[in-house]
Amino acid sequence: MQNILVSLNEATRTVNSGSNKVTLLDNINFNVEEGEFISLMGPSGSGKSTLLNCIGMLDNFTGGGYTFLGEPVHSMKEKNRSKLYKEYIGFVFQAYHLIDELTVYENIETPLLYKNVKSSERKAMVADMLDRFNIVGKKDLFPIQLSGGQQQLVGIARALIGQPKLILADEPTGNLNSKQSEEIMELFAQLNKEGVTIIQATHSESNAAYGSRIINLLDGKIV
Amino acid sequence: MIKNYFKIAWRNLMKHKVFSLINIIGLTIGLSASFVIGLMIYYDATFDTFHKDKDRIYRVVTDLTSPEANFSIPGVTLALEDAISENSNFETVSGFYIERPSKVENRVLNSEFKWPNFVIFADANYFKIFNYKFLAGNTSEILASPNNVILTENRAADYFPNTKPSDIIGKTLVYNDSLHITVTGIVENFKERTDFVFEEFISHSTILQTRLRDDFLNKNWNNTNDASQLFVKVTSNADLSAIQNRLDDLAKEHQDEESKKYGDEQKFTLQPLGDIHFNEKYGIYDWSKGQASKSLLINLALVAIFLLLLGCINFINLNTAQASQRAKEIGIRKTLGSSRKQLIGQFMGETFLLVLVSAVLSLLLSRWLINVFSDFVPEGLSYELMKSPIIILGIAILLLLVTFLSGFYPALVLSKFNTVAVLKNHLAVGNKKVKLRKFLTVFQFSIAQVFVIATLLVGQQINFLLETDMGFKTDAIVSVYSPRAEREISKKELYAQKLRAIPEIKSISIGSHAPASISTNSSSVTYNNGDNEVNIDLQFIFGDVNYAEVFELDLIAGRTIRNDTVKELVINETCRKRLGFKSPDEAIGKTVLFGDQSVPIVGVMADFFQRSLRSPIKPMAYRGDWYQQDWSQFQAVHIAFQNESSADFKGTLSKIENVYKSVYSETDDYRVEFLDETIQRFYNREQKMSKLLNWATSLSILISCLGLLGLVIYTTNRRVKEIGVRKVLGASLLQINALLCKEFLILVAIAFVIAAPIAYYGIHNWLQDFAYKTSISFWVFLVSGLAMIVFALLVISLKTLQAANANPVDSLRSE
Ligand SMILES: Nc1ncnc2c1ncn2[C@@H]1O[C@H](COP(=O)(O)OP(=O)(O)O)[C@@H](O)[C@H]1O
Ligand SMILES: [Mg+2]
Repeated sequence: MQNILVSLNEATRTVNSGSNKVTLLDNINFNVEEGEFISLMGPSGSGKSTLLNCIGMLDNFTGGGYTFLGEPVHSMKEKNRSKLYKEYIGFVFQAYHLIDELTVYENIETPLLYKNVKSSERKAMVADMLDRFNIVGKKDLFPIQLSGGQQQLVGIARALIGQPKLILADEPTGNLNSKQSEEIMELFAQLNKEGVTIIQATHSESNAAYGSRIINLLDGKIV
Repeated sequence: MIKNYFKIAWRNLMKHKVFSLINIIGLTIGLSASFVIGLMIYYDATFDTFHKDKDRIYRVVTDLTSPEANFSIPGVTLALEDAISENSNFETVSGFYIERPSKVENRVLNSEFKWPNFVIFADANYFKIFNYKFLAGNTSEILASPNNVILTENRAADYFPNTKPSDIIGKTLVYNDSLHITVTGIVENFKERTDFVFEEFISHSTILQTRLRDDFLNKNWNNTNDASQLFVKVTSNADLSAIQNRLDDLAKEHQDEESKKYGDEQKFTLQPLGDIHFNEKYGIYDWSKGQASKSLLINLALVAIFLLLLGCINFINLNTAQASQRAKEIGIRKTLGSSRKQLIGQFMGETFLLVLVSAVLSLLLSRWLINVFSDFVPEGLSYELMKSPIIILGIAILLLLVTFLSGFYPALVLSKFNTVAVLKNHLAVGNKKVKLRKFLTVFQFSIAQVFVIATLLVGQQINFLLETDMGFKTDAIVSVYSPRAEREISKKELYAQKLRAIPEIKSISIGSHAPASISTNSSSVTYNNGDNEVNIDLQFIFGDVNYAEVFELDLIAGRTIRNDTVKELVINETCRKRLGFKSPDEAIGKTVLFGDQSVPIVGVMADFFQRSLRSPIKPMAYRGDWYQQDWSQFQAVHIAFQNESSADFKGTLSKIENVYKSVYSETDDYRVEFLDETIQRFYNREQKMSKLLNWATSLSILISCLGLLGLVIYTTNRRVKEIGVRKVLGASLLQINALLCKEFLILVAIAFVIAAPIAYYGIHNWLQDFAYKTSISFWVFLVSGLAMIVFALLVISLKTLQAANANPVDSLRSE
């Protein structure tokens, strides 16, 4: 029996845009079990990013229930929530979102700093990660000195360094060419095999096919 | 973590070099000023703080008030000590008398010391109040009998070189040729900062063998002398108001008939020990050191605070303006698990790094500044004082405070960014704080503008002070003072006689001080016109018959005095009016009363300034040296040169000095004063203030303009595309420049509107110190406002012109 990692129960997000209320996510219900690789699909503007952000606790649902590893996120204090996602969640973005002022090494190291990992341990972990992604030679370069695919590799390495249970990837290959895309998706599949749960948002059918389950969104609703 | 913060902070510093430089320059100026000024305040505030029970030690001082004038005297009447010594509120009462012996000899070594300073006649009570460390001598019977002296280590080293303290005890010194005095103790000089600079303590009873014998035998309640000092140490539960009441009662009890008649009163007050160093009214013992001035220190501190604030404002403005550039980093850090607190910590760390860099620069600069500002910095202050723990602690606190002031607000703004919003569409958050930045910029320029206006107005007043005709001749006149001990008139006459042989000299007069000086000599005179009696306080200048000629005093009625000693007066116009004469001619031949002597008025001279223009012209009379035989008032020979130009003064001066040496061959106390320099010295304080304002003005303009430049660079960069489009649409260079300048110039204009009344009010208050002043002119405001706008325009155009000039194709392509 697999553990349930994420459980959404009529999760809703509405915002006030001027005088009218806009529903961005409408009664979302689904569970994510540990070890799954889910592809969120839907046209631009359908709410994929919003849903990922809410699951990743960068944003909040405005209604319904959200349980993460059995803990009710919707009724949690900000502080505990940030503890939770620091511990269990890693993000990968379409625009990579590396910190321009930091080197590859330092970018990967940063999440560990926020988790108060000891310096010697940090070194070992980062070295390990660099090794694994074959980017040891690039560790002292700054993001602008890398190609898009390499930047995304660093982005993924950074997401993985904290050993999260869940990776949230928002169109991770959106800015990459097809060869680079394929490499990244292979990497995700590999990670998934090693036990990391992944939710990715994507436009592309071929990318979605790497997942074990596809969820389709349209206008904030699951279809 | 910290290391990581500093790393990124450093990279950010380097990435935005111009902004960092602006920030560092601003903060460095502010911090340097604060360090130096803080050091000065610390230096002055730590005088005489080491004495045991310092809060219970007071000096008794005297304030004399009369309808005419008020005097503050650091001493008290000799009679007061006995009257209060039994009072139970006092633990110790110690009177001492400051008297410079004319000569001290160590006859064994055949050495002689002229006019040693800081010699007092004191008793054991002095050593009860002030704790000296005895290096030798009996401490149980301090100064118990006449003809004993205690020396400080330093003084002992002069009188008895290379002798152990214990070997000096019992040795004899001869004072003023006749007093044989035994050394009974050697004390250590105070190691800490102190105004108690005394070096020699002669037993109090010895005073009966000096010229002061009569004064001490018949202590007179109505005679007060600076030299007669009285210190008390009150008991720990003393009732200070009861003491004051008792002192008031004593003053009233002993007021004599004459004082009552003329409304003269004396008041004794307790001056706290801590007040002595600062209170210019009563002075300190070592005149050469110059007194600490609280108002100067406060002004300096204000300047430092303003400069520091200006630096902080630059930081806030530039950082909030740039915020959007850092939004992405902040968003990412938040997704990586950073809490808001951690982000605030990071930004504060960055601010701290910048402050630290500025602080290091400031520490280096301070060393140099202490020299540049030697006019303000007290002589004894050395850079070494920086090492004292309180200063180090103070600096640490200041750095934290500055970090907080400049960093906290930007950190709040930056850390508040919403992660999702930032990551999604790179919100331009920086724009939201435009209002605050405008406000802060206006604040900065208001300060700078106030300084500009104040500098111009103070400069105007100083010019007025220096250029106003004093009413007598001030150029090409020198005064040579006789040796301090010399009271003989014959020597002065001989000297004047010999000087007359020098062809470059036009005229010579023997007299007291020049018509304008800081010393005054006055007494009360009465005039009875038959109906009523007028009593005024009359100031004197003493001179021989040539005095009026040398100084070109303007005689408007009657004649000058007939000879040096005849009892005649030449009064000034103010005196003439006060005595009630309708015209100068009416005054001639009338007599005024000095006590019971009547003296005729033989001439009336035009008014001239007797002091700085700060003080109003007082009734004054020019008179001879009436008591020449007993006590001559003449102490200087005033010399007017033939030639007005200073080119050949040098030769003449050396002739004057040579003649002096031939007449006064046995002393080397040559003192010469140039009258025009004496008059300039009246305005030392104003000159200092003007120098300070000049610095404050230039620095505040510099910091504010740098800040403005930063903001202009930032906004212009943001508007490149707009500029490009406008250019393509046909806008001219000037039009674009005007467009870009407008919003900033409006701020500078608003600042002027705010600053003008503040500066007006401040200068108006300052001018109240002067009896004679320029009017505050309107054009000064106009000029300084315009100057500021031109200045700002230059700074702004530096960047905007470059932007407006750029090829629009480049800016449009890059988007
Ligand atoms: N804070 C918000 N206020 C109003 N509308 C929003 C807000 N956030 C997102 N939206 C809107 O919600 C819709 C879903 O956006 P998003 O989740 O980014 O879609 P996707 O990632 O599938 O392209 C879009 O139409 C977007 O404009
Ligand atoms: Mg999206």
